[in-house]
Amino acid sequence: MPETVDARGLACPQPVVLAKKALEKAVKVTVIVDNETARENVSRLAANQGCIVSVEEKEEGVYLHLTRTSAKPQSSETSALSGPTVFLITSNTLGRGDDELGSILMRSFMHTLGEASSGPSRIIFINSGVKLVARGSEVLDDLRTLEKAGGEILACGTCLGYYKLKEVVEVGHISNMYDITSALLEAGKVISL
Amino acid sequence: METVQHSVVLFYSMSGALQAEKLFKKSGIAIKLIPVPRQLSSDCGVCLRFERADETQIKATLEKERIDIQGIYPV
Repeated sequence: MPETVDARGLACPQPVVLAKKALEKAVKVTVIVDNETARENVSRLAANQGCIVSVEEKEEGVYLHLTRTSAKPQSSETSALSGPTVFLITSNTLGRGDDELGSILMRSFMHTLGEASSGPSRIIFINSGVKLVARGSEVLDDLRTLEKAGGEILACGTCLGYYKLKEVVEVGHISNMYDITSALLEAGKVISL
Repeated sequence: METVQHSVVLFYSMSGALQAEKLFKKSGIAIKLIPVPRQLSSDCGVCLRFERADETQIKATLEKERIDIQGIYPV
């Protein structure tokens, strides 16, 4: 019998936390979710843990059947100096000082990053940084370029919620502190701005 | 996307660049504020990149609004 986690009605990041706990105990886990963010986040967690995910949409919720294939789950605490380069963007402006200047610098920076030969594997946006992935942002084209080149863009869901931008995200995934923390722990290099 | 030819217009000041950016946005000309390309200048300025096809319109707008420019260069 697979372990079942009913994550319906739970707010981010609870579904991911419960799914991860269940996967530590069982090889087969079924997670029931009722929204798109939870579905994506749990699926991503499962993929990171080396699981096969099959999705079953039922009237009462989405059933995610997770089956672990690799013998050992990847430990998120494994030190990986050769891991991906992660950018942590904590503000919609670059540096401290005048905001108009900070905004110009951020736009210049993102443009340059998009043109760099080896871009980052992940860019994480937290706090007012999430404004950069939402409608009206001046750097959407640059972020799309980075995404096309294989970069993963994660925006903090709590922050999007706080700034009321969840419905107008234009690029990347809505993520949670759980994903963000493990992305930082797995990184070979973190560049925090 | 790769086939579009771009040029950049350099200004004497950051405020000139910002003023021009606002104007072009209002008139619907596709421009992008970018750092001045390394081969043009080593200082840390910004410039506006535009599609070369819009050059006449760009020049006319800048002249009309009396925004001084340092030059226009193909990139």
